[in-house]
Amino acid sequence: MGTLHVRYPSEEIMKKERVQRIGKGFGRGVSEKALKIYFLVPTFALLLFMIIFPLIWSLYLSFTRYNAVAAAPPRFVGISNFARILSDPEVWTRFIITGKFVALAVLIEFVLGFILALLLNRNFKGKGIITTLYLLPMMFSPVVIGKFFAFIMDTNWGILNYILGLFGIPRIAWTTSYEWALYSIVITDVWMWTPFMLLLTLAGLSTVPGYLYEAAEVDRASAWFKFRYITLPHIFPLLILALLFRTMDAFRFFDIVYVLTGGGPGYSTQILPYYIYKLAFQYWHTGESCAIAYIFLIIIIALSNIYVNYLYRLRAR
Amino acid sequence: MKKLFLILMSVLLAGMMVTGVAPAQKKVTLTVTWAAWYPADYLIKLSNDFTRQNPNIKVKGAFIPWPQYHDRVFTEFASGKPSFDIAVPDSQWIGEAVEGGHLLDISDWMKKNINFDDWYEFPLRSYGEYPDYSGHWYGVPLLLDFVMCAYRKDLFNDPKEKAAFKSKYGYDLGVPKTWQELLDIARFFTRPKKNLYGFATWQAPIATAGLADVFLGPFWSMGGNLWDPRTKHVEGILNNWYGIDAAKFWVELYKTQPPGSSNYSIDETMTAMQQGLVAMIGIYAMFYPGLLDPSLSMYVDKTGFFTEPGAIGRDGVFRHFVQLGGQGLAVSAYTPYKEEALKFIKWTTTDDFLWKWTEGGNFTPKKTIVEDPAFLKKFPNAEIAKVVRESAPLLRDFWEIPQYNEMGEYLSIQLNQAILGKITPEQAMDNIAKRHEEILRRAGYYKD
Repeated sequence: MGTLHVRYPSEEIMKKERVQRIGKGFGRGVSEKALKIYFLVPTFALLLFMIIFPLIWSLYLSFTRYNAVAAAPPRFVGISNFARILSDPEVWTRFIITGKFVALAVLIEFVLGFILALLLNRNFKGKGIITTLYLLPMMFSPVVIGKFFAFIMDTNWGILNYILGLFGIPRIAWTTSYEWALYSIVITDVWMWTPFMLLLTLAGLSTVPGYLYEAAEVDRASAWFKFRYITLPHIFPLLILALLFRTMDAFRFFDIVYVLTGGGPGYSTQILPYYIYKLAFQYWHTGESCAIAYIFLIIIIALSNIYVNYLYRLRAR
Repeated sequence: MKKLFLILMSVLLAGMMVTGVAPAQKKVTLTVTWAAWYPADYLIKLSNDFTRQNPNIKVKGAFIPWPQYHDRVFTEFASGKPSFDIAVPDSQWIGEAVEGGHLLDISDWMKKNINFDDWYEFPLRSYGEYPDYSGHWYGVPLLLDFVMCAYRKDLFNDPKEKAAFKSKYGYDLGVPKTWQELLDIARFFTRPKKNLYGFATWQAPIATAGLADVFLGPFWSMGGNLWDPRTKHVEGILNNWYGIDAAKFWVELYKTQPPGSSNYSIDETMTAMQQGLVAMIGIYAMFYPGLLDPSLSMYVDKTGFFTEPGAIGRDGVFRHFVQLGGQGLAVSAYTPYKEEALKFIKWTTTDDFLWKWTEGGNFTPKKTIVEDPAFLKKFPNAEIAKVVRESAPLLRDFWEIPQYNEMGEYLSIQLNQAILGKITPEQAMDNIAKRHEEILRRAGYYKD
C-alpha cells in the first residue's frame, strides 16, 4: 500500500484565491486587508463618537464648573466638584439609599428567581405557557409598569390597599411614607426583573447532564446532596453572571422612581441615577453631575470586578 | 432658445415694475412650543385668524407633555438649534433662559408696541422682564395663571353642616377669607371614617407643580419673605418667625389632607376633588376645566371656586397675596424669523385676540380686558371670572433666577419632610435658609 500524499496549496496560492473570490462582484479588487479595514472603520468611528469622545469630554467636564444651557464656557476648577460631592452628607445619604435599593432588589430577585426556576425545571402540563407568563413583566416598558404600580399602590384608590382592607389591615401609604416608599420601588423592581433571574437560572439548569442525577439516584443520594454537589456547581457561573447583570442594571434604575415616587417623600427614594438627572437637567450643574457620574461609574466597575474575579476563580477550579 | 427665454423674463420683469406687482413674499411657518394642554391647542386654533391677516405666516404648535416640558425646551436651547421659533416659558424660567442667551431681547420693541398701563404690572414684569425692574424685556404675557381654590358647594351650603360649624367655631361656614379660616373648615370636614378630608393640594417634593407653588401663598400672606430683595440674603429672613409660622401652619393643614397625599401633584389633587374625597383643593386656576367636565368629575354641579385667601400675621396685620403661575410668549434668539415672530406676538396682545382668548376660557393679565364689565359675561364661568379679577392685583411669584429649580426643590423637599414629621417646621425653614444661601453664594450673588 503506497503512502497517501495530500497536496496542500501553498499560502501564496490560497491568498491569491481569496483575493480572486473577494474580487468578484461588490468590492472588486479590494484586498482582504482593506476589506477588514472597511468593516472596522464604521465600528471604530461609532465607538469613538458615541462612547469614547463623550467619556473623555464628560471626564474633562467633571473638573470644570459648567452649565450646559448657560452662555459661559466650562471653567476648570480642579477636584472641587469631587470634594463638594464627597463632603455633602445629603449626597452620602443618596449613596446609602442606592446601596439599600440595589442590595434588597437584587437579593430578592435572585432568591425568588432561583426558587421559581427550580419549580419550573420539571415536566408538567402547561409548562410552556406558565414559563412565558412568568417572563412577561420584563418585556413591558418600565414607565408603564411605574404607572401601573402607582395605581395599584395608591393609598386611597389602590387595589393593594383594598385587598389588605378585606383582611382588616389598615391602609398603607406605599409610595408616600418614609416607612414604605423605598420598599414600594423594590417591590416594583422585583416584579419586573425576577423573571430575568428565573430565565438565566432555568437556562443553567437545562445544561446539567441528566446522567449525573441518574448516577446519584443509583447511589441513593439525597435531594440535598444532588442539589449541593450536582446542580449548584453546574449553574453557579451562570448565577454569578445573572447577579452581575442585575446589579449593574439595578444601579442604572431610574424610570420607575421618576414615575412612582418622584424621589420622595423628602428625598428618601432619590437614588443616584435620579439625583444625577436632577443635577444635570434640572439644576444644570453639568460639571458636578459628570463628577458624580464618574464616582458612580468607579463603584459599579469595582463591584463588577468582584463578580468577574469570582467567576474566573470558579472557572479555574 | 436662450435668447427667447431672456426676452420673456425681461418682459415679465418690466411688466411687474410697471404694474407694481412685487414678487411673492417668502412663506414662513412659525413653530410655537408649549406644554401639551388645552390653552396651547386654543392658541393654534386662534392663530388661523393671524394667518388670514398675514397670509405668508403660518403658525404651528410643537407641544410637549408638562412633566417633560422644561427639560425638552432647555435641551433644545442648549443645542443652539431649537426646533421652535417661539417659546411659552413658565414665568420662573425667564432668568434661566435669559442668562443662557436663548431669548431675543425685545426691550426696544416693548417700548414701541406695548402700553404698560394696559396690563397688571406684576404679571407683565414676571413674564417678560429680567432682572426685575431692569428695563430689559424678553417676553409678553400670554396665559395668566395663579393658585385658586375650589370647594364642594353642597357641603358648604348644607344647613346641618352650617349649624354644626357655627356651634363649633363661632362664625358662619362660608368661603374662607383667611388661611386660618380655611384651616378651621378643613379640620371640620376631615372625617376619615366617612373617607372625607378637608383639603388637598400639591405636596410633591418637586420644584414645579409641587409643594413650593402652593406653600408660598400662605407664606407671603402670613408675612414671610424669601430673601432680602436688595442683598439676596436669606438667613434670618426666610426662617424668621413669620416664615416659621407659615411652615407650622402648613404642617397643621397637611393633617386635614387625605392619607398618602404627600406626593400629590396636578393629577392626584384633581382626582381627590373629582371623586369627592375632599371638601376643598388648592390648585393652579387653569386646571379648572377638569373640575367642570362631567366625564371626569362626579361633582361638576357642586363645585365652586374662590380666591386664594389672605392671612393675619403674628403682627395682627392682614396681608393678601396669590401665587402667580402662567406663561408668556418669548422669541427664541436662534430663530431666523424674528420679524414674523414679533408680528405674531404683537397680535396676541391685541384686544381682538384677547377677547376671543377669554371667550375660550383662558386668562389674560391685560387689565383693560379683566376690568371691562363685559369680562364677567364673556368668560365662560362667571364665578371663575370673579376670582380672576380678585386675584390679578394680588399676585406674587418666587425666584425667577436660574437657580429657581434647585431652590424650589430644596424648599419642597424640606417642607415635605416636615409634613411627614421627619423634621420640625423650624428645622425645615432653617435648612432651607442655609441651603438657599449656599446656592446663591455659589452662583455669585454675594460680594462678601
